[in-house]
Amino acid sequence: MTQLLECRECGRRTYYEKRRCLECGGSAFDRVDAGRGELRSVTTVHVTPEGVREPNRLGLAAFPGGANVVAQLDEGLSIGDAVRLQGGHDLRVTDDGTLRGARLVAVE
Amino acid sequence: MTAQHRDAGVPDASLGLDDPPAIAGVGMTEFASADDRPLIDLLLAAAERALDDAECDASTVDSVHVGNMAAEAFNERSGLANALTGSLGLTGVTARRIENTSASGASAVQSAFEAVAGGHSTHALAVGGEKMSSADTATATEIISRITHDREYEQGVTLPSFGGLAAAAYLDAYDADRRDLARISVKNHANAAKNEYAQFRKRIDVDDVLDSPAVASPLRLYDCCPTSDGAAAVLITAEPTPNAVSVAACESATGTHAVADRTDPLEIESVRLAGEYAYESAGFGAEAIDVACIHDAFSILEWLEMEELGLAPEGDAWRLTRDGETALDGALPVNPGGGLKARGHPLGATGVSQVVELVWQLRGDLPEGRGVDGAERGLAVNVAGFGNNAVCTLLEADA
Ligand SMILES: [Zn+2]
Repeated sequence: MTQLLECRECGRRTYYEKRRCLECGGSAFDRVDAGRGELRSVTTVHVTPEGVREPNRLGLAAFPGGANVVAQLDEGLSIGDAVRLQGGHDLRVTDDGTLRGARLVAVE
Repeated sequence: MTAQHRDAGVPDASLGLDDPPAIAGVGMTEFASADDRPLIDLLLAAAERALDDAECDASTVDSVHVGNMAAEAFNERSGLANALTGSLGLTGVTARRIENTSASGASAVQSAFEAVAGGHSTHALAVGGEKMSSADTATATEIISRITHDREYEQGVTLPSFGGLAAAAYLDAYDADRRDLARISVKNHANAAKNEYAQFRKRIDVDDVLDSPAVASPLRLYDCCPTSDGAAAVLITAEPTPNAVSVAACESATGTHAVADRTDPLEIESVRLAGEYAYESAGFGAEAIDVACIHDAFSILEWLEMEELGLAPEGDAWRLTRDGETALDGALPVNPGGGLKARGHPLGATGVSQVVELVWQLRGDLPEGRGVDGAERGLAVNVAGFGNNAVCTLLEADA
């Protein structure tokens, strides 16, 4: 998923689906493109669960509208860099199949 | 972000009682990386120690509150509360198991506290325990990472991952450096070295931390709590007994499930709210606290939680560590028993063991060099996941 949910009432955005807006309690959302975010933190995880790449580089990025996202991160990026969500990556192999989703990648 | 759910204010926990609930006795097992005994035996050993400490016969207990996160996954069993009451030889009492991931222990304490404060129980026994050694590391990692949000899980995010992200952001935002962060574990190991119940009774130095294997940058192995086996218990009573410690407040609050849903990556809203509710209920605030047990599952959490609880100004907790203010002989000793890092972290036992430690501190009956001099008020905070939920308990020595 490379889109965010935007509250129809107050405009607060979130990556994490829920029934109610954290800001105003509104319950109607629109799907919008995440756009361009900024890396707030990065970590390289050396001990990962089965089915997850190792090491697993992760980023925490802030997107417009108050939406923060933690996701797998491309190499060579650090705090302050501009990033976007890019879908279609194999993120994690589980007993029930491969979980596919978005990674944080550099903005060209 | 707003907390809409508690607008009506904190309910009066002491309604109908002259005195606040008191802790009449405490006990715990020696935490270990592996304890041969089955989980039920650990729970029973801790419960018997608490009852002995209170000089109470088990027959006085009228409610049992068992904190445990994942006995089904670690030990392939459930029904812990009923098995424990059976082992204690109790029938006809209220008993239940409470699950709140890594804060299951403090939630069990809260359940016991509320039973007494609400007039439903006169002798409430809270027992927390976990036996994690039954699972191999990969299985344990999977069990624990399964508590994350689905969108986090699919990214392979683990709890240390959040610790690494928070630590990197903190070191970037403030003047603290990597060596300052290491001083948290150094201090907690020094405290545990004197604690006969601690899993790691070995002093370490800053270089030991920096030389330990990388886990989630900038965090290394010695920034992270271990997996542990152990149990802890407290007996909460309606009538104060000689040498009892009062429970001034026990409050909890949820945060967001997805960690990134917080507007600030250094924010742990659940800890802040649980602290605010507890201070309001107790009628005293952070400035009155003499000793604190903070949920340091990762070194960085000690700073973040101190700041959320008002025990340090925002962005300043690292200075207290560097200046020795949080050491056993400092102005605000933090984790005098070694914390999760060095006492150990048997998930469901931890929150109860924090209260056990505070009771020992406030009664002043610890050996020379182990206790905080003249401590009268203590705070414990036990956190579920990376802030999904937090429980804050305030204790007060009887004057
Ligand atoms: Zn809204």
